[in-house]
Amino acid sequence: MPLLQIQDLTKKIGKKILVDHLTLEMDKGEILGLLGPNGAGKTTTIRMLVGLISKSEGQVLINGLDTSQHFEQAMAQVGVIVEQPDLYKYLSGYDNLILFSRMSKGVTRQRIDEIVQWVGLAHSIRDKVSSYSLGMRQRLGLAVALMHKPLLLLLDEPTNGLDPAGIRELREHLKLLARQQDVGIVISSHLMSEMEMMCDRVAILQKGKLVGVQRVSDMVQDEHAQVRFEVDRPDLAVQLLQSLLSGEQIDVEQEQLRVRIPKNRIPEISQKLLDAGISVYGVTTIKRTLEDKYIEITGGEPH
Amino acid sequence: MNLLIQNENLKIYKRKRTWILIAIVALFVLLQIINLHTSGSPAASEDWRAQLEQENSWLTEETSAPDALNIEIRQAEKQLLLNQYHLDHGIPPQQSAWNFAVDQVGNVVFAISLIAIIIAGEIVAAEFASGTIKLLLTRSASRTKIYCAKYIASILFGLALALLGLLLSILFGSLIFGFGGLDHSYLYVSDSAVGEIPLLQALLGSYLFHLPFMVLTVTLAFMISAAFRSTTFSIVISLLASVAGFVIAIAMNGWDWTRYFVFSHTDLTPYIWGDPPVGEVSLAYALVFVLIHLAVMHLVSYTAFVKRDVT
Repeated sequence: MPLLQIQDLTKKIGKKILVDHLTLEMDKGEILGLLGPNGAGKTTTIRMLVGLISKSEGQVLINGLDTSQHFEQAMAQVGVIVEQPDLYKYLSGYDNLILFSRMSKGVTRQRIDEIVQWVGLAHSIRDKVSSYSLGMRQRLGLAVALMHKPLLLLLDEPTNGLDPAGIRELREHLKLLARQQDVGIVISSHLMSEMEMMCDRVAILQKGKLVGVQRVSDMVQDEHAQVRFEVDRPDLAVQLLQSLLSGEQIDVEQEQLRVRIPKNRIPEISQKLLDAGISVYGVTTIKRTLEDKYIEITGGEPH
Repeated sequence: MNLLIQNENLKIYKRKRTWILIAIVALFVLLQIINLHTSGSPAASEDWRAQLEQENSWLTEETSAPDALNIEIRQAEKQLLLNQYHLDHGIPPQQSAWNFAVDQVGNVVFAISLIAIIIAGEIVAAEFASGTIKLLLTRSASRTKIYCAKYIASILFGLALALLGLLLSILFGSLIFGFGGLDHSYLYVSDSAVGEIPLLQALLGSYLFHLPFMVLTVTLAFMISAAFRSTTFSIVISLLASVAGFVIAIAMNGWDWTRYFVFSHTDLTPYIWGDPPVGEVSLAYALVFVLIHLAVMHLVSYTAFVKRDVT
């Protein structure tokens, strides 16, 4: 059974469709990214998953439990951070944890101490939250989201406003959770490089519709690669490449040729170039990034 | 559910501001007693008879004034009867901490209601303002439970303030009058006759029968807080409504239309004395009338709180 099943999830406000029949599944231990330009429906989707926004249509099953019918049981298995973790600023970090521990079953004082250690707030947990930096608040928010050992963690734009060190720290925490404790994580963001580093799969949303789901490892280990040959006689090289790769497009830029070829043909082609008396100064494979894929799928619409 | 209410209490009492509000209640009670003490209470001096007679003639004059309000005449008539009772039975009017406490119940409950409004007016709205509502509603507790926990916490805060007001008025009163006098009777007027009941009974009864005012105003503030999610709006509107309601209910006391005015039914003490303000209105009628208002307010705020999207 998948950890999270989303079926035909739809949100309409009047005639405007914010999320349009979204269907998606994910498993334990997976990190799924929701990627899309602003207004694509990422936030609305996450808020519907956790019941902050009502669904117009569709169904959400968390570990097999329908969130509309068994909200309390389903939410007992979910940890949530929606944008900045807004906590009670006039209370200490510890009081905040006590407060939320009372809203979940089975969170002991021991567990609270454990999670405080884990997010590295042991020294400042008795201080008021109003004195915390944004990074510390994010860590406290993570502690609140994780104290009841959820199977599923939902994060909406969690890196907004965090500095690079904070983002990196959050990334490390999330990866540990997924790898070691088998927690499934859904994370929405419009920052592609970040998603590429963090996620196993990325679902791309555009205008409320799911336009593609990509496995990040597939994109990185694509069989075909953009390869750049740096040669001394490009005109000759072009002719040779054309005969070798019938129909492939060859971009010439001064002394550099760019072609799209299967990786395993690189040695052979290099050899042919050398045999034809062309000096090869460099062979570079250009990685296709998530950004290329994203632009390809969304039709190049900038976010 | 219990834990949720505990949570709300923790959020209320761990704020400095709450304690400032509580201090205001204490200050209010203190001012009342200072006011009473300095304005010269009819202490049991030798010439209390002369004093009462003088007051009576003054009251008679007032009631015959052409521009006297209904309520003024009623109050004056009651005071006349009471004074006459003292004179006839040869009991000197005695001020004690307990008497003071009974006489202050109305004021104290009014004051604590205004303070409780501030807490009730922000108990829901502040969660939206600070963004904490997102965490609160995504734990494994239904919105219905959170709504109830918040309402119960608001009412409990009002009750706690009322209890504090009661204890403080006895305490401050005893500093001036001493603790004695509980064995005296409390005198009241009903049907143009003076009756006596034990002081303790009068005190507890008065408190209990004044509480509908607190419940009504707290519910109003809570309703606006939950339905419109604005702290300022809910506090200002409920304060205005409560003060206006309180004043109108007093000024219009005895008018026939007040049977349809909810604030005229929030002070139920006349039913202790058997002296309803408008004829043909029973305690049951008054209670049901108040309950209907509470139910309608909850219908509005509960629906809004449970259904609306949090964006």
